[in-house]
Parts: sequence; C-alpha cells; structure tokens
Amino acid sequence: MSKRRNRTFIKVLVFLPYLILLFLLQSTVFTRVTVLGMKPLILPIAVVGMSLFKGRITGGVFGLFSGMLMDLAYNQPTVEFTLILTITGIFFGVLSETVLVQGFPSFLLCSALQLVICSACEVLVLSVLAGAPVAALLGTAVSQCLGSIIFAVPFYYVSRFLNRVV
Amino acid sequence: MKDFFSSKKAVYVAVAAVIVAVAAALTAALSSGGAGFASMLSQPFFKPLKSAMTSLVNTLEHAYGYMYRYDEIEAENERLRARIAQLEEEYREYTEVSEENERLRTLLGFTERSDAMDLEPVSVISWTASNFSSSFTISKGSSSGVELHDPVITENGYLVGYVTEVTGGASTVTTIIDTTTSIGALIYGTSDTGVVTGDFDLFKSGQMKLSYLGDGGSVIIGRTVVTSGGGGVYPSGLVLGYIDSVAVDSSGLDPYAVVTPAADIASVSHLYVITDFAVSE
Repeated sequence: MSKRRNRTFIKVLVFLPYLILLFLLQSTVFTRVTVLGMKPLILPIAVVGMSLFKGRITGGVFGLFSGMLMDLAYNQPTVEFTLILTITGIFFGVLSETVLVQGFPSFLLCSALQLVICSACEVLVLSVLAGAPVAALLGTAVSQCLGSIIFAVPFYYVSRFLNRVV
Repeated sequence: MKDFFSSKKAVYVAVAAVIVAVAAALTAALSSGGAGFASMLSQPFFKPLKSAMTSLVNTLEHAYGYMYRYDEIEAENERLRARIAQLEEEYREYTEVSEENERLRTLLGFTERSDAMDLEPVSVISWTASNFSSSFTISKGSSSGVELHDPVITENGYLVGYVTEVTGGASTVTTIIDTTTSIGALIYGTSDTGVVTGDFDLFKSGQMKLSYLGDGGSVIIGRTVVTSGGGGVYPSGLVLGYIDSVAVDSSGLDPYAVVTPAADIASVSHLYVITDFAVSE
C-alpha cells in the first residue's frame, strides 16, 4: 500500500511541474510563436502522450488538470476543454491498454485525432452558440490542426522519457 | 465502449471533470466579475509566473529583432524620422486651428467639451491561446478599481478592448476585433453612425466591420471611426480605427465598411483602463 502511495507521490512530484511548465508555454510562448499563422495547441498533445504511456487513469487525471489549464489559457470558464481532455485522456488510455501499440505511429494518429476533436468542438460551440459561419471557422480549425501536429514529434520523446523516469 | 468506463477510477475522473465544469460555469455566471473559480484560485499563483515568462519572451524577441532585423529596423527608423517631421508640421497647424477653435467657442458661448477620465495603467501579462478569439490578461483587477466592461485604451487614446472578466489582481480584456464585440460608432467629422463588430471573416486579418450605415454616403476610405458614446459604456471620441474598404453584405442591400484598428492590437504591452469617465457638452 505504501509502495503504491509512494509511486503516486512521485508521479505528482514529476507531472505537476511538467503540467505547470506546459501551461506557461501554452499561455505565454505559444501565444507569440505561431505556425502557419496559428497558435499551436500543445496541452492536448501532452495529454495523448500521458494516456498512451500511462493508461486511462493517469491519462484521465492529467487530462482533467490539462483541460482546466487549457480553459484558463483560453481566458474562458473551465468547461469546454476540462470535459474534452478528461474524456479523451481516458479514451486514448483505454485504446493504449487494448488495441494500440506504444509507438510513434500510434502517438501521431492519436494526436491528430485529439486535435481534430478539440478543433471540431470549438467550431461546434462557436457555430451553435455564436452563430458564426462554419466555412470561416473550418479554415481556422484546419490550420490550427496542421500548425499543432508538428509538436507531436517532440512530445512523443518527452512522454516516452517521462514514462521511463516515473 | 464497454472498456471505456470499465474501471471505477476512470468513472470518478470523468465525474470530477463534470463537477469542475458545472462549478466553473456556475461561479462564472454568479460572480460579479464574471470569473470562474479556477481563474480566481489560480490567478495569484500563475500571475507572477506568467509575468516572468512574458518578460523573458519579450527580451528574447528584442534580442532576435536586434540580431536579425537590423536592416528592417534601420529602414523603419528612417520612415519614423520622416513621419515625425510630418507630424511636427501637422502639430503646428493643429495648434493654430485649436486656438482658432477656442476663440470661436468663446465667441459663440459654447461650453468647453470635457472628457474627464480616470485612467489605471496596466501591462499585458498573457494572450489567449485561442485561434478563434482575441483577448488578453492584464496586470490589475478589482483591487485597483478595475470593473467589468471598463474600456481599455493605448496611450494615444486608441480603443483596444473592454474588460470581460475581473479577479482581485488581474482581469481579462476582450479586444475590439473579437467576434463578440459590438460598439456604437460614428465616422469622425460626419453625423453618420453605425455599429462596429468583430467578424469571423475579417478576424484573421485583424479587422472589424462597420455596419448599419444607412445610405453610407460618408463612408470614404481613410476616414477615422470613433466611439459614439451611446449607451454609456464607452466615452465618445475614442478612436477605433480607419476605414479600409467598403463592401456590400451577402444580401446585396446593406453596405458595410471594413475598419482597420488604429491600435496595433497584436503588439500592445502597456495600456490604460478607463475606470471612470464623465462627458459633458
């Protein structure tokens, strides 16, 4: 029991600063550095890494806190990404425990799917609640996915490294 | 799908997410500053970290600019020197016109127009990570007298946005190009009024739409668009931007103008919140 508690404590000790660093990068650096004219989304990709290497529980918890921080980075109430990233964190965790191999192709595929889900939800919310034209939103959503997916490469190695450490 | 929630812990995590989301939505709706509980709780912790990180990013940007954009900066310096000379000339003309205006006002018995504003200097801590909206966080909140819907301007008096969320030590400002923005405006030097709104099609180019123009007779490219002051949210006469082009909406009936903001919104760093203002004619 105490061994298990120690492992959880070490996980928190490693993942909490990692999460704070990711949030600071997302809300300060990646609001200035753009790819294809878009601000890249790095927190959703980090959630995929955690889910794929650590499974559904760690992925879900990491997704919950990442989602809250993502909503904060978006200057919006902690609703949209808190829900999306928690659910996808659990979902990709289940996939990695059942059908997926923990390799780069799986990571890239899940990251792409994660970005599509996040962008689709943004488009849906804005088109339904704000009545925004879907065509204009879709252009931005596609560019956002393309501009963010390149970060799957560094995050694959970071996630793999963290998996080995903890 | 059966596997998705096959462990109890996964269900607990999902339920926690729903509780957090509902609590956030409720606190945002009920709090006077429009901020969710996560914003209120995290702001004291993240504010100094974000400020430090932003300072670091600014320093690196300046260093990058110094190393790689020297020629560009030199050319810009030349352009600015020429601009200063032009502005000095215009200032001389302005002084003459202003003195004449003063004399005429006195002659006609007009009361001097006075726009008394209380300004609170603030700096930008961070920008939104969203590609679909335009907002940023500023360094002061309700403890410095900042309130919901307070206008935010540059040192030149150009309108940048308005406060949409307030916590004790920080606030969120939604900019004038955001698609949720809607401001009563008039074309300077005319009596033509309209409404400046953010528009998704113009959002990428950082521009706004001036609509409800009536016949659109005075819509001339280059003209200045200012706040009308209607509704009492914004003081009148704050510069919104300049008319860039004129178009007709999809129905083919209503003309609208594309307005480029006067403030360089993407690169603002030090701003002023108008915490109070009074207009008398």
